[in-house]
Amino acid sequence: MDISLILQKHYNQLRQQLSPQNAALLQQWETLKEQYSGADLAYTVRNKTISQPLTTTSLSGTKIPKVVLPQYADWGDVLRWQLQENVPGEFPYTAGVFPLKRDGEDPTRMFAGEGGPERTNRRFHYVSHGQPAIRLSTAFDSVTLYGEDPALRPDIFGKVGNSGVSIATIDDAKKLYSGFDLCAPNTSVSMTINGPAPMLLAFFMNAAIDQECEKWISQHEQWPRVEEYAQAKFERLPKPAYHNPLVPETLPPGHSGLGLRLLGLSGAEVLPPEAYAKCRQTALQQVRGTVQADILKEDQAQNTCIFSTEFALKLMGDVQEFFIAEKVQNFYSVSISGYHIAEAGANPITQLAFTLANGFTFVEYYLSRGMHIDDFAPNLSFFFSNGMDPEYSVIGRVARRIWAKAMKYKYNANERSQKLKYHIQTSGRSLHAQEIDFNDIRTTLQALYAIYDNCNSLHTNAYDEAITTPTEESVRRAMAIQLIINRELGSAKTENFMQGSFALEQMTELVEEAVMIEFDRLNERGGVLGAMERMYQRNKIQEESMHYETQKHTGELPLIGVNTFLSKSGSPTILPGEVIRSNTEEKAQQIANLEAFWERNALQSQESLDRLRQVAIANGNIFAELMHTVQHCSLGQITTALYEVGGQYRRNM
Amino acid sequence: MKPNAPHNIRLVTAASLFDGHDAAINIMRRILQSHGAEIIHLGHNRSAKDIVETAIEEDAHGIAITSYQGGHVEFFKYIKDLLDESGCGHIKIFGGGGGTILPEEAAELHQYGICRIYSPDDGRTMGLEGMITHLLQQCRPEPDGPFWKAEASWDNLAPLGEHKDIRRIARAITHAELGNPSMPQSLPARTAPVLGITGTGGAGKSSVTDEIVRRFLNSFLDKTVAVVSVDPSKKKTGGALLGDRIRMNSISHPRAYMRSLATRLDNTALSGHVQEALDICKAAGFDLVILESAGVGQSDASILDHCDLSLYIMTPEFGAASQLEKINMLDYADVVAINKYDKAGSADAVADVCKQYKRSRNLWTAANHELPVVGTMASKFNDEGINHLFDLLLEKLASKCQAHFGRYAFGSTAKVSQAIIPPKRTRYLSEIADTVRQYNSMVTQQAEVASKMYQLDGAIKICQTPQQHD
Repeated sequence: MDISLILQKHYNQLRQQLSPQNAALLQQWETLKEQYSGADLAYTVRNKTISQPLTTTSLSGTKIPKVVLPQYADWGDVLRWQLQENVPGEFPYTAGVFPLKRDGEDPTRMFAGEGGPERTNRRFHYVSHGQPAIRLSTAFDSVTLYGEDPALRPDIFGKVGNSGVSIATIDDAKKLYSGFDLCAPNTSVSMTINGPAPMLLAFFMNAAIDQECEKWISQHEQWPRVEEYAQAKFERLPKPAYHNPLVPETLPPGHSGLGLRLLGLSGAEVLPPEAYAKCRQTALQQVRGTVQADILKEDQAQNTCIFSTEFALKLMGDVQEFFIAEKVQNFYSVSISGYHIAEAGANPITQLAFTLANGFTFVEYYLSRGMHIDDFAPNLSFFFSNGMDPEYSVIGRVARRIWAKAMKYKYNANERSQKLKYHIQTSGRSLHAQEIDFNDIRTTLQALYAIYDNCNSLHTNAYDEAITTPTEESVRRAMAIQLIINRELGSAKTENFMQGSFALEQMTELVEEAVMIEFDRLNERGGVLGAMERMYQRNKIQEESMHYETQKHTGELPLIGVNTFLSKSGSPTILPGEVIRSNTEEKAQQIANLEAFWERNALQSQESLDRLRQVAIANGNIFAELMHTVQHCSLGQITTALYEVGGQYRRNM
Repeated sequence: MKPNAPHNIRLVTAASLFDGHDAAINIMRRILQSHGAEIIHLGHNRSAKDIVETAIEEDAHGIAITSYQGGHVEFFKYIKDLLDESGCGHIKIFGGGGGTILPEEAAELHQYGICRIYSPDDGRTMGLEGMITHLLQQCRPEPDGPFWKAEASWDNLAPLGEHKDIRRIARAITHAELGNPSMPQSLPARTAPVLGITGTGGAGKSSVTDEIVRRFLNSFLDKTVAVVSVDPSKKKTGGALLGDRIRMNSISHPRAYMRSLATRLDNTALSGHVQEALDICKAAGFDLVILESAGVGQSDASILDHCDLSLYIMTPEFGAASQLEKINMLDYADVVAINKYDKAGSADAVADVCKQYKRSRNLWTAANHELPVVGTMASKFNDEGINHLFDLLLEKLASKCQAHFGRYAFGSTAKVSQAIIPPKRTRYLSEIADTVRQYNSMVTQQAEVASKMYQLDGAIKICQTPQQHD
C-alpha cells in the first residue's frame, strides 16, 4: 500500500478523536491570525460594535501591535494555546476579558475618604480633575464601617472622619458625590463597605435617583415649585447645607452643583409619581460602580462584620435579587476580595484560592435562592492585592481562567458570566516605615504586574501609607506611577506583552493547580462555611503571616532599606511630618447634621424602622425596603433595628 | 487587708472600638499567657465602656488594648476617665498602635495616666518578650498598693450605671480565690438558683450561655443574672485564656455580671473557689446565677456539686452511640442540648441521646419529644431550638427550684428560609476542582492528537511532493 494512504488512514482516525469544537479552533486559526494582523479590530460588547486600532506607532516609527499571536506551527501547540491562553477577550480569558483596552479610560481608581462628606467631595474633585473618566473610590471612617452614627461619646468621637469619610445619612451621601453625574456612562463609584453595605448602597442609589430628579426638575422648569415646597418644609425644620468648614466659601473646582439642590428632600416628595418612577428606573439602570459587600472575607480576615453571618448573607442575596428585578446591570453587587486576606498575611496562592472559593460560595447561595446564573454572575467582581511575590505576576490570569472554566462547564453560564473582572490594589503590607522613598519603587513594580496582567481597575498606594494617611502630594505621585506605565512605557502598549513567556505559562499552571489543591482542602472541611466554623482560613492566614514575619526578621526575605542595604543612620523608622486628622469642627458639624436629620425625620423614622423589621420578619426583600428606609433613618438607627431581628455578629477565636 | 501571694496577674485584652485589627493583640495575649497571666480576651471592636466594665467585673490588674484606626487619644483617655469615675483608677492601662500613635500623642497619654503606650521602637529595643515582662511588672500588685487600697475608697454607689456594685462583688471573689478572709457581706445570703452548664470543649457552651442570658435579660426587665465561667489554667505556665467573653454579646449589660475564673492549681473542670464565687453572687442578690464549666471529658460530673439545675451541652459528633454510655453527665443532667444541630446526622444523634437518657433513668416508655433533650443552633440568631431550651430551663427552674421569673415571649426575627448552602451542594468546591482538572486533561489529550495530526499531515505532504533529482 502507498505510504501516504497509510498515513492518511491514521490521520483520519486521529481526526475522529478531535472534538468538533477543537477542530473548529484549528480551522479558524489562520483567520484569527489574519484578523489580528489588520489595522483595526472590530468586536461586540453587549450588542455594541466597537472598532479600535490594533497598533500604535513608536517614536522610531515601529508599528507596535497591541496583541501579538504566537508563531506556532504544530497544531498541538496551536490548540493548547487557544484552549489555555487564547487572545484577550476569548475563552478561557487567561489574557484578559476584553479584546482590547478601552480608549481614553485608564484603569486608575484612587481611594479617598477623610473627614466629613464635603472634604472628601473636594478630594474627589481634585483627583479626578481633568480625567476623561471619573472613577471614585470611597473609604469610609471606622464608625461608618461598623454601621454606627457619629456621636460625642469620646470613643466614637475620636474616630469620626478618621482614615475615611463619615457618612450617616442620605444627605451625607448626596454631598459626598455631588458635582459628579452619577448616571453618566463615564462615572463609576466604588464603595469600600461591608457589614453595613446594604445601607450605604441604598444611600448611594437614592443619591443617584435624586440627581436624576434634579435633572428632571431643571428640564421641566419646576424649580420655583420645588423651592416653594422646600421653603415651607424648612420653615419648621432645620435645612441641610453643603458646608466645608475648611473651605467655607466655595465649591471645589470642577463641581457642577448637581446633587445639592434636593438636600433634605427626596425626589419622591417633589416629583409626580410617574416622573419619579422614570428617574428611579433610569438611575438604577445606568449607575456604574461597585460595593465591596463581601461578608465572607470579613469573617476570615478583616473583622468588620456586624450582623450574624447568615443574616449578612441573606442581605447580600436580597441586594442581588433587587439588582435583577430592577435591571441594575452596570453595578457590581459585590467585590469578592482577596486584598484583606493578603493584607492579613496570606500568601498569593492562599489569597487567590480563598477568594475564588468565596466567590463560588456566593454563586451557590444565589443559585439556591432560585436566581439564574446569567442574571447575577455579571454583577460579581473581584479584588486582589498585588505584592512582590512571583505568583502575583499571574494572579489575574489564573483567576480568570479558573472562573471561566467553572462557569462554562460546571454552571453552564453564558460568555458574559464567564468573564471575571477584577480590581487590583498594590500591597499596603509590602510598604515599610523605613526608607519610605523606596515604597514607590515597590508600588511601581506591583503596578507593572497588574497592568501586564490586564487588571480592569487599579489603585496604586502612596509611599507614605505605611506611616500616615496619604497627602495630596503623595497621592499624586501614586497616580503618576500608573499613568507613566500606561502612557509612557512602550512595552505596556502591547496588551498581551507577557503572553508566550515560558516562565509565565508554567507559573500559571502551577498556581492553578495549587488553587485546586486548596479547594480540595476547603472541601474536606465542609466547604467555605464549614471551614470558617473551624477557623481554618483564619489560622492559615495567621500561619502564613508568621512565616513572612519570621523571614523578614531573620533577613532570609531581603527587604531593601528594612533589613538589608541600610543607610549610614541605620534606616530608622520615619515619623510622619504632616498628619491628617479630621478636625473637631468637622466632627461637630457631622453630629449636628445628624441631629438635624433626626429632627427632620422624627415623624417618619419610627414607622420606617417598624416597616423594615416587619419586612425582615416576613422574609421579604430587606434591600428593597431599605431603599425607602434610608430616606428617613440614619445608618445607626437602621443597624440597631436590624440587630433586633437579624442578630449581631458573634466574635470567635 | 493583707493579700495572700502569689497572685496571678489578670489582664483584659481587646482591640479598640470599630477596629478589626486583632492580629497584634492576639500575639500579645499569647505571650502574656505564656508568662503566667490570666487573660480575659474580648477580641476586636470593643467600646471603652465594654472594656472598663469587664476589667472591673473581672477585678483585673490591667487592660491592654491595640488601636490602629485612629481616635486613640480620645479612646485611651476615655477609658482612664471611666475607670477613675468608677473608683478603679488602680487598673493599669497599656496600649499600642504601631506607627499610628505618634510619639507626642503617646507622651500626652502617659501624662494623662496611661501606664504605657508601646511604640514600634520599644518593639525593637525591648523585643516582644521585653515588652511583656515590663507590662507584667507594672501590673504586679504591691501589698498595700493601689490595687488593695482601692476598696477602702469605694462608696456604695454602683459604678457605670450597673444595678449592683460590681467592684465589691469582683473583689470579694478575688479574696476568696486567694484564700483571704472574706469581706463582710452587706446583704443576707439569698437563695438564687444556680444553673450549671457543662459539656465537651468546643460544643458551644459560651454561645449557648450567651443566648440564655440574652433571653433572660430581654424577658424579665427587672431581673439580674450573674455568670461564673471557668476555664483551665495551663499546667506548664500557670497562665490561662479566659475566652468566654469574646463570644458573649449580651453580657455587657447593667443587669448582668460575669466573672471568669481560671482553675489555677486544680486539675478539674472547675476552680476550687467556685462555690465561694457562687455564694458571693447569691449574697449579692442576683436572681439567677449561671455556672459555666470548662470543657469536660466523659467522666466529669463535678458541676453537680455546685448547681441546682444542670444543662449538658454536646454536639452530634460524639462517634458511636456506645460512647454515650460512658458520659456521666447524661445520667444526671436535667436538660441536654445537642448544639450545632445543623450538622449531618443530627436527628440520629438526638435519637441516640434520648435512648441513653431513657436507659439511664429507666424511662422506657417515654416518648422522645417529652424528654428534656433539645437540638440547638446557638450560632443562629433566635434559634427555635434555643427558644425551646430556654422554655425547658425555666420550667425546670420553677418545678425543681421554685424559681418563678414571670411571663415572657420571644421577639420575632428575620426568617432565613433555608441553609446558605443546601446540604446536597456542599461538595461544590470539589466539583469545580474536578471540572478544571478534567478540562486540563482534555487539553493535554486533544493537543496530543492535534500534534500527531500535524506530524502526519507534514509526512503526507512530503510523500505527495514529487521527488526532485539532480
